Amino acid sequence: MVAPAVVILLVVAFYPIVATMWLSLHRMILVFHEEQFIGLGNYAFLLSDPRFWSALRNTAYFAAVAVAIELVLGLGFALLLNAAFPGRSLLRASILIPWAIPTVVSAKLWAWLFNPEYGLLTRMLPGQDVNWLGMPGYAMHAAILVDVWKTTPFVALLLLAGLQTIPQDIYKAAQVDGAGTLRQFFSITLPLLRNTIVVTLIFRTLDASRVFDAVYVLTEGGPANTTETLSIYAYKTLMRVGDFGYGSTLSVVTFLCVMGISLGYLKVLGVERGKGRA
Amino acid sequence: MSQSVIRLLTLALLVCISVSCRSGSSASGQNTPEPAKPPGKIRVVFKYQPLGSEPEPLRDLLADFERANPDIEVMTEVLPNASDVVHQYFLTSLEGKSREFDVFIADVVWIPEFARAGWISDISDALPPEVIKRDFLPGAAEAVIVQGKTYGAPWYVDAGLLYYRTDLVPRAPKTYEELIEFAKAARAKDPSLYGYVWQGRQYEGLVCNAYEALWGHGGKTMDNTRVLVDTKEGRAAMSYMRRLFTEGISPPSVTSAGEEDARHVFQQGRAVFMRNWPYCWGEAQKDGSPIKGKVGITTLPTVDGSPGHGALGGWQLALNANTPSWRREAALKLMTYLTSLQSGVKLAIAYGRNPSRKAAYQDADLRKSAPFVADLLPVLENAKPRPVTPYYGMLSDVLQSEFSAVVSGIRTPEASLDRAQKLLDHVTQGGS
Repeated sequence: MVAPAVVILLVVAFYPIVATMWLSLHRMILVFHEEQFIGLGNYAFLLSDPRFWSALRNTAYFAAVAVAIELVLGLGFALLLNAAFPGRSLLRASILIPWAIPTVVSAKLWAWLFNPEYGLLTRMLPGQDVNWLGMPGYAMHAAILVDVWKTTPFVALLLLAGLQTIPQDIYKAAQVDGAGTLRQFFSITLPLLRNTIVVTLIFRTLDASRVFDAVYVLTEGGPANTTETLSIYAYKTLMRVGDFGYGSTLSVVTFLCVMGISLGYLKVLGVERGKGRA
Repeated sequence: MSQSVIRLLTLALLVCISVSCRSGSSASGQNTPEPAKPPGKIRVVFKYQPLGSEPEPLRDLLADFERANPDIEVMTEVLPNASDVVHQYFLTSLEGKSREFDVFIADVVWIPEFARAGWISDISDALPPEVIKRDFLPGAAEAVIVQGKTYGAPWYVDAGLLYYRTDLVPRAPKTYEELIEFAKAARAKDPSLYGYVWQGRQYEGLVCNAYEALWGHGGKTMDNTRVLVDTKEGRAAMSYMRRLFTEGISPPSVTSAGEEDARHVFQQGRAVFMRNWPYCWGEAQKDGSPIKGKVGITTLPTVDGSPGHGALGGWQLALNANTPSWRREAALKLMTYLTSLQSGVKLAIAYGRNPSRKAAYQDADLRKSAPFVADLLPVLENAKPRPVTPYYGMLSDVLQSEFSAVVSGIRTPEASLDRAQKLLDHVTQGGS
């Protein structure tokens, strides 16, 4: 029964990847019915394409900042939810609401909150002249804020699951030995949570590196492509321009970046074999 | 063990068959025989975007067509009201040689692209270019004629206009300096007012606004076949657009505004001037609108005070190149019917859409029931199409981001236009 599963996996997972790689070696523009094998020509162009480098920078910045904030906030929430207090199960359920709302819906909702004329967020700020989605610098951070709002609950949930696997006896023993809360956190919680944190980091970084929907709905990559991520650039090239060759090249490079990140994590943070596999 | 090998082989075979079938149908689609005509009525499929909230007037119009042509049945399919999405839909389904629809609407900038790709039919036999040029508004005619052949029938037209508040300014401004001066004067009296709102978000609307400024500064769209933006006029136009922000004439919110954002602000009575399409007029004049009776429209301003050119918008009807020949005549009949004088007048009265035929503007019914539509004739006659080129999709993608860089103050006009020109030349000269 393993063999059919392998075949299905080959067809579903590998065929599109291989096909995209093959396409990326072509100059292929739908409108002109052009299809010409150009080897690594697209990749050579990519290296000298400033728009690619800016998209790469944007993606890296978005992923790094968003994931860092999510991890810190998520850990805070997880510790909070792990403590016993009345109404805990209600809070545990309600914290998941942002995660449950479809991204496009929540992005649209935030776009209204950011609206420079009517948006609640703009109204609350003094001066009222902050145009979140139209000003360079601000737009990217607005997108990060939306991502943090949406995925912190997910991070919290993953970390909470990890926290609950830590035996309470260890804490009791530590208390007997006179370790304070802070010491317990750094000497027990963090080391024992290490694998969970690595898995969470991988999950979130991969997700954030191919971010598309939230940013696209908020800004479509504007102003002046300052929020254009690799996925948005690839999408525009493929679907709006109809340049399947270069669009595929961008997709392949995104894929390679994502793969590189996950390998890097595994190498640097080193999940113990067999223990922390996602 | 052997059983699983057999299973594996069967599955692999099935996969190969299904893959080869699919690739076969897409690669050799052109050579597959045309489907034979089924017995009974000829069924023409028409894909369109909603013209307004009421579907009835269009339905009645199509019912009249079916009554007049008992052998034809029209099937309609509604498309989403977002130009980008519709463009992607046609890009993929036409390249896939879809025969599921015959007549469809195409935005004014798509015709050269689709014609070049061979996705839409040359319909010069039904609507020769001479007739198009004679009967239709000049901009709309220019948009559907590609290399001397007709590739679409103009259905209704749109053009950018300047809206102004008759109670806040002495008269309609003719030059950019006047617009700035009037806006400043009105703001001096009431600082909570915005001067001029328009579409500055990174999207197609910004390209329209930028071309209008370019024409207003005496710039040209193209030099033979080369799309030119990095010119003296282009730089002047971009500097003017940036100046609107630095001098406080346009609020920063314009850099993320689309049509509706601008309209909401203007409609609430919070701006002196607005650039937008004709549809805003009906909204402004609705009962309960704070600016009802206080709005004037005029052509966009220019440097020298001559009437400005609005960007030409609007939709054309095109014929799928893969429509089987036995359905072609019926489809052409539908296209000529929908773009006829009577249909244009009916749609203008029902939906406020501007007819594409010149003669409609002299029609007594139209002048009586929709005087605003009739009054727009000078604006529409003066409207210009954005660059007419099969590269439009790529070009717009480049221009959107460079124009956005100027209006949001990221790059100077000089730097942006230099970048834009290099990218455009690269795209149109065959790089990817």
